[in-house]
Amino acid sequence: MNKRSLNRSKVISDWILTSVLLIGSLVMVIPFIWMVFTSFDWAARLKIPFPPRFWPEEFSIRTYQMAFTNIPMLKYMINSLIVSVGVILFSLTSALLSGYAISKLKFKGANIVLLLALSTMMIPFEMTMIPQYLMFAEFKLLDTYWAFFLPALNYAFGTFLAKSFIDQLPGSLREAAIIDGASEFTVFIKIYLPLCIPILATMIILQFLAVWNDLLWPLLALKTPDKYTIQLGLAMFSYNKDLPLPSVIMAATTVSLIPVIVLYLFLQRFIVESIALSGIKQ
Amino acid sequence: MSTELNTSVGTPTHTVVRRKKLFTRRDLTGYLFSAPLLIGIVVFSIYPMIGALILSFKKSSQSFIGEWAGLSNYQYVLTDSLFWQSIYNTFYMGILSVILGVSLSFILASLIHNISWLKWRNFFKGVYFLPNVVSLVATSILFSFLFNPGSEGLLNYVFGIVGIEPIGWFTDPKYARFSIVIMTLWGMLGYNTIIFIAALTSVPKDLYEAAEVDGANWLKKWFYITVPYLKPIIIFMVIIGTINAMKRFTDVWLIGGTAGNPAGSLMTAVLYIYRNGFLSSQMGIATAASYILFFFILVLTIVLQFTNRKSNFD
Repeated sequence: MNKRSLNRSKVISDWILTSVLLIGSLVMVIPFIWMVFTSFDWAARLKIPFPPRFWPEEFSIRTYQMAFTNIPMLKYMINSLIVSVGVILFSLTSALLSGYAISKLKFKGANIVLLLALSTMMIPFEMTMIPQYLMFAEFKLLDTYWAFFLPALNYAFGTFLAKSFIDQLPGSLREAAIIDGASEFTVFIKIYLPLCIPILATMIILQFLAVWNDLLWPLLALKTPDKYTIQLGLAMFSYNKDLPLPSVIMAATTVSLIPVIVLYLFLQRFIVESIALSGIKQ
Repeated sequence: MSTELNTSVGTPTHTVVRRKKLFTRRDLTGYLFSAPLLIGIVVFSIYPMIGALILSFKKSSQSFIGEWAGLSNYQYVLTDSLFWQSIYNTFYMGILSVILGVSLSFILASLIHNISWLKWRNFFKGVYFLPNVVSLVATSILFSFLFNPGSEGLLNYVFGIVGIEPIGWFTDPKYARFSIVIMTLWGMLGYNTIIFIAALTSVPKDLYEAAEVDGANWLKKWFYITVPYLKPIIIFMVIIGTINAMKRFTDVWLIGGTAGNPAGSLMTAVLYIYRNGFLSSQMGIATAASYILFFFILVLTIVLQFTNRKSNFD
């Protein structure tokens, strides 16, 4: 085989692969397209039209008005944001401080702390949810966001991520600063924290997606509809409904996805890399 | 915290005695820095694990002070046909989604990886991963419409064109579990694919070049180099997929309700725990069931890890 024919066959195979994958991509995005189009279809507010269609028959934003009057969407989204931000603050503080200590302070028992963190990472939340629920009930913290912030301290995976990242940073920075009389905490805040921004961003993304999309713990911990997260609000609205209200529910679902989709469009490559990193690391 | 440890027992008194501190300042700082994590682990991992164990031996009360129940909670769960049905359903959906999910995403990752145009590669990564950032709540709601059992459902309509009778996806006990698997595949495919692509890029190029010199075609290269090289990652994906499948709750709860309808075909282990613990306040039974489930997960993980270790000796 000469070089030219080899190149040609490569181009042909590239085109074939791309076409096959494009057809697959269509399967991936059709549900979204159907959702968005249906959400604008006033004619589909009571039942799904037959034959199914993509382009709305009665294009209208009244479906969205109905969704917002039926579900306090904005409130739920703000609630979700509060929960996410709180969980991110608590979990990242815990993960970074411990990851730094295990990696650079090398205190007596650092390995035991790491081993403990790694072994508790294996415990599924479903195992601990009942005692955790009873504990928060005991302290009258159910139906408050403390039920989300406090368990966030137990972010062993983050400790593991932070430790592996800080391992790659030189220890000489710390030693030089300590000799100059800086305190351990100053060294951490002033020198290492700015260097940790890449891993911080990764953890923020991973935690935000996890918290924003979670349903089980909000379902157990939150009682008052006023405090619902967006997922719980959406689930409760569509749960056990006598009237299906297709286009109204599609409108609500679309709105609930806007923050995540916008985030994804802007940070797509970074998110994909974060997920790949976290997957490989585990 | 300096402890007066005299290490010079029996030494003559005129030698200088070195006092050794048990913990240096640096050690203390280390513990101070690890305190938030350690508190988190103790309060939200270790204590609940012990608490759940104690609760599972208590008469179904909502506190730890209740009467001891011996093994009766475990006996109740292990003789409850609904529990075994939930385990069966969980495994059924789990095995199907793991086998299909891992193999499909492996093929998909190989296809994407083999495109020479970087732009297209990134585009496909982005598109196939998109459903993964969508919440399970949104996915379940969306699919309950796409899988509408009538002829007006999008999928049934497409099937109708080909001449297939409408299928009661989420309403027919025969198809409900499989429909959940399809939905899971749509959501999870991108995650596995991305991890596989990352693994594929780490396969040394010279292996392929050496094989090409020996005249191996692409299929042989894929089968004799790529697959063996990625075996640890494949096993890892199977473990993660299995553990996630064991914890299935959100989608079946939204689609089949707390009864796991249709006809209990969507009753899963976590749904069983949820029903007993939070609907009938039988915390003892619920925690016993969760420990049995944990045992299943543990055994599966150990078996799969063992396969992994064994495959490395080959």
